[in-house]
Amino acid sequence: MDVKARDFVPAAQAALSDPALRAAVKRATDTAAKKRLVTMFWAGRAHGEALRQQAAQARRRALRDLPALLEQAEAAMTANGIQVLWAADGDEVRRLVLDIAARHDVRRAVKSKSMVSEEVALNHALQAHDIDVLETDLGEFIVQLSDETPSHIVTPVIHKSKETIRDLFVRELDMPPTDDAEAMTQFARGHLRRAFLEADMGISGGNFIIAETGALCLVTNEGNGRMVTALPRVHVALVGIEKVIATVEDYATLTQILPRSSTGQTMTVYTQMIHGPRGADDDGPEHVYVILVDNGRSDIYATGYAEALACIRCGACLNACPVYEATGGHAYGWVYSGPIGAVITPLLTGLENASPLPHASSLCGLCKEVCPVDIDLPRMLLDLRHDLDETGHTPPVWKGGMRGFGIVAGSPRLFELAERAAGLGGRFLPPRPPLPPPLNGWTNVRDLPAIPPKSFRQLWAERQKAKKTP
Amino acid sequence: MTSRESILNKLRAARQPFADLPPAGGMIPVVPAGDTSPAALRARFTEAAEKLGCTVTHCADPAAAIAHIRDLIGNDSTILSWDLVYVPLPGLGEALADAGIAIAAPGDASVRVGLTGVDAALAATGSLLLASGPGKPRGASLLPEVHIAVVAANQLVPDLETWLAAQRAAGLDSLRRLNNVVLISGPSRTADIAMETVMGVHGPGAVQIVLLGEG
Repeated sequence: MDVKARDFVPAAQAALSDPALRAAVKRATDTAAKKRLVTMFWAGRAHGEALRQQAAQARRRALRDLPALLEQAEAAMTANGIQVLWAADGDEVRRLVLDIAARHDVRRAVKSKSMVSEEVALNHALQAHDIDVLETDLGEFIVQLSDETPSHIVTPVIHKSKETIRDLFVRELDMPPTDDAEAMTQFARGHLRRAFLEADMGISGGNFIIAETGALCLVTNEGNGRMVTALPRVHVALVGIEKVIATVEDYATLTQILPRSSTGQTMTVYTQMIHGPRGADDDGPEHVYVILVDNGRSDIYATGYAEALACIRCGACLNACPVYEATGGHAYGWVYSGPIGAVITPLLTGLENASPLPHASSLCGLCKEVCPVDIDLPRMLLDLRHDLDETGHTPPVWKGGMRGFGIVAGSPRLFELAERAAGLGGRFLPPRPPLPPPLNGWTNVRDLPAIPPKSFRQLWAERQKAKKTP
Repeated sequence: MTSRESILNKLRAARQPFADLPPAGGMIPVVPAGDTSPAALRARFTEAAEKLGCTVTHCADPAAAIAHIRDLIGNDSTILSWDLVYVPLPGLGEALADAGIAIAAPGDASVRVGLTGVDAALAATGSLLLASGPGKPRGASLLPEVHIAVVAANQLVPDLETWLAAQRAAGLDSLRRLNNVVLISGPSRTADIAMETVMGVHGPGAVQIVLLGEG
C-alpha cells in the first residue's frame, strides 16, 4: 500500500470538516472503549492490571527470545505438516504467494483479514496475475468493493454510514434496497458463501504462533477465518515474525486478553489453533503454508523501539486516542492508524515518509494506559520526535523558536523582561488573536491564551509587599 | 544467503531487548477461578453461554435430549453431523434413522442444521471446544445456520487454562495431532455495518447447546 502519511495535516483537516465521519468514529470508539473497561476490569482493577502485566511480560519474553522461538516455531510447524517460508520484504511475500498459487493451479482466492497483506498490497499482485481475490471479513469486503483502505484495524469501515453501504451493495451487487443491517449482512453472506465454496486458496493472517506446539492461532467473529482455513484446498497464512509466543500458557492469557481489550468481548467467537493440514478422513485444506514476514520488523528489533513489536493489534489505543477520534484512520495515510500507527508507520516505512505522525498526539498517555501489553507509546512518540529533529525534519521556525525560548527561559532576568513585555503587549491584542506569519503555524490550529497584564511574579511581589505594610 | 538466514542473523546481531525480564511463572487465570464443583461449573457455563447468545437446554434424561434435538431439526431430512460415536447420547443414531433423517456429506453447504459433540466446554467463558479429525468434520459446526452441540456433564472444565494444563500434563503431542482446534463462543456475529450487532454472518446464527446430566 502506498504511504501517504506525509499528508496527515491536510487529510486530518478534511476529516475534521466532515461531521458525519466524526460522529461515526466517535460513536464506534466510545462504544468499544466502554465495553473494554467492563470486560477488562469486571473482576476488579487489581485483577485487570495484573492480567495486563502478565500479557505484557509474555510478549516481552517472546521478543527477548525471538530468534530462538522463530526457529523452534519453524521446526514444530514443519513437524506438524505446515510448510514454513520466510519473506524479507513485500516483494518476497508477493512472489511466494504467487508461486504457491501457480504450484496449486489457483484461480480464485478468499481472504480473511490480514494487516500484513495490506502492508504488501497483496490483492493487487494477485489480480495482476489473473487470480480473483475476495475479502471475506464483512468490513474488509465493503472496503474492497468501494476500492478504499481500512480505517481501523479491528472494525475497518467505522467511517461508513449504513446508507453508504446500502448504496454500495445496491450499485455493485444488485442488492434489493434495504436499510436493515441484518438483511444487508444476510445478502453479503449469500454472496460470500458461493465464493468460499468455489475458492482454491484461502489467505489469512495470524494472531499468534505458539513456538512449542507449532500452532497458528487465529481469531474471527464472523466465521470467515474458519471458512478460509477449512474449505479451500490450500491455506496460506501471512504472519509477521513478531507474532511468535513461547508457550500454550502465554497463549491462554493473550488470546483471552485480545478480545477483552479490542471489542470488549470475553472471547472472540471463533478462536482457532491450527496445527496442520487435513489428515486422512478429515476435512480441511490439503496444504497449509505459513509465511513468516519481516518487512521492516527486524530493523525495529535492533532499535529502542523493539517494544512496539509487542503489539497484539487489538485497536484499544485507537479507541482511546483523542486524535484518532477526531480524524479517523485514513488521515494516518497507511495500514496502521492511531497511536500504534503513529509509531510503527515511521518505523516500517521510513521516518521521512511519515514525518507528521509522531506529532499527531497530545501525549495524553491514554494509549499506554489502555494497552493490554503496556506499550509505552507516548515515550516512543517523543523519541521519534527527537529522531525527526536529529535527521533534520524539524522546520527552521520551530527550531529557531525553541532555541530562543531556551535562551530566555534559561535566564531569570530575561524571563522577567519577557513577561513584562508580553503583559504590556497583551493589552493591545484582541481576544484570541491570529499571530502573523510564521508564528501563525501555532495559532492556525490553537487559540493563543489571553496574556494576563501582570505576571505571577509581579503579583507575588505585590502581595508580599502588601503583607508587610499593615 | 536466504531470507531466513538474513532475518535470523539480523535478529541475533541486535542488542537483545528486555534482557532483564523475570522468568515466567505464577500466572493467574484470565477469569478468576471460582467454585469448581460440578454444579457450579454447570451454572457458570450456562450463564456465560447464554450471555454470548447461545441457547442452553438442560436434559437430565437422554430420551428428553433426543426429543429436543428432533424438535430442533424439525422437518429437515438431512443434517450435517459428526460421526455419532463422538456425540455422547446413546440411541440418537437410531432415533434419527427412525425419523428418516440422513447425514449429508461433510462439505454440503445446503443443509440447515449441524450436529456435533464437543471435546470440552469451558465454564468461565461459555465456550465450546471442538477438535477436528476423522468423524469430526469442521463443516458441521460452521456451514449450517443452526449448530446443535451435545455436551456431557463430564466435559465441563473451568477454563481454557485448565484445559491447556491437562494437554501439557499429557505431553502436548496429542494436542499437536489435532489439526484444527476451535473454541466457539456464541453464534457467528458482526458489528461492521454501523456498529449494529448481527448474528449469523458466515457461521451459524444460532448455537443450541444440549447439556446432559443432572441440572
